[in-house]
Amino acid sequence: MTKKTETKNCSVVDKTLVAMFLKMSPEERLRANDNASRAILELRNAYKQQKFNRRRPKLNT
Amino acid sequence: MHTNSKNSTGADLSSILEGLIKADVKFILVGGLAAVVQGAPVTTLDVDIVYKRSSENIAKLFAFLQSIAAFYRRPDDKVIKPKEEDFLGMGHALFTTRLGPLDVLAVIEEGKTYEDLINHTVEIEFRGNTIRVLDLKMLVELKRTSKDPKDKQRLPVLEETLRQLEEELGIDLG
Repeated sequence: MTKKTETKNCSVVDKTLVAMFLKMSPEERLRANDNASRAILELRNAYKQQKFNRRRPKLNT
Repeated sequence: MHTNSKNSTGADLSSILEGLIKADVKFILVGGLAAVVQGAPVTTLDVDIVYKRSSENIAKLFAFLQSIAAFYRRPDDKVIKPKEEDFLGMGHALFTTRLGPLDVLAVIEEGKTYEDLINHTVEIEFRGNTIRVLDLKMLVELKRTSKDPKDKQRLPVLEETLRQLEEELGIDLG
């Protein structure tokens, strides 16, 4: 069971992504994380806004 | 620094680190961002630090938190600002700040303090300064014992990063 879990865990790791990140400097990694987190938050906000817009009744003029 | 809104969800985590350095706060970077700076391809939305619990350091930390408009992160909308004495205990203080979320921890897993962790850190050059970061080996060890599902999910990535790092350097980082 443990072995199976380990095998499963290994298969989900993108080793090329790890290798790519290791080639970057710590500052570059922090910048990449900042950019990623901003993008995530922006997308979350957009999703929330879309849900809000859907719920809001359309006004007929 | 793209936002100043009190309730903003914007994040500039690098600026939080820079601010802590400029404020001369003694801290160790732990958690997801510690993994990020050591090469783990994960994304985190907050900064986690373990701080030195001396009165001088707490005063500096508190002044810094005030400067970035920190207030406790809560499920409701109540704005509760920290007090200096909040940092004398052994708890976790989770904040929203104008630069993004910041978790200020007196201890981490197994009650480990700043002093317990200092020998398990690496020094990393950041914007012309040095920050102390909990080393990957210790991060992996702590995550292995963690019951947090987020930690369990992230563990294989940290282990693979450690493996590749050790292979590259040709040493066991333990």
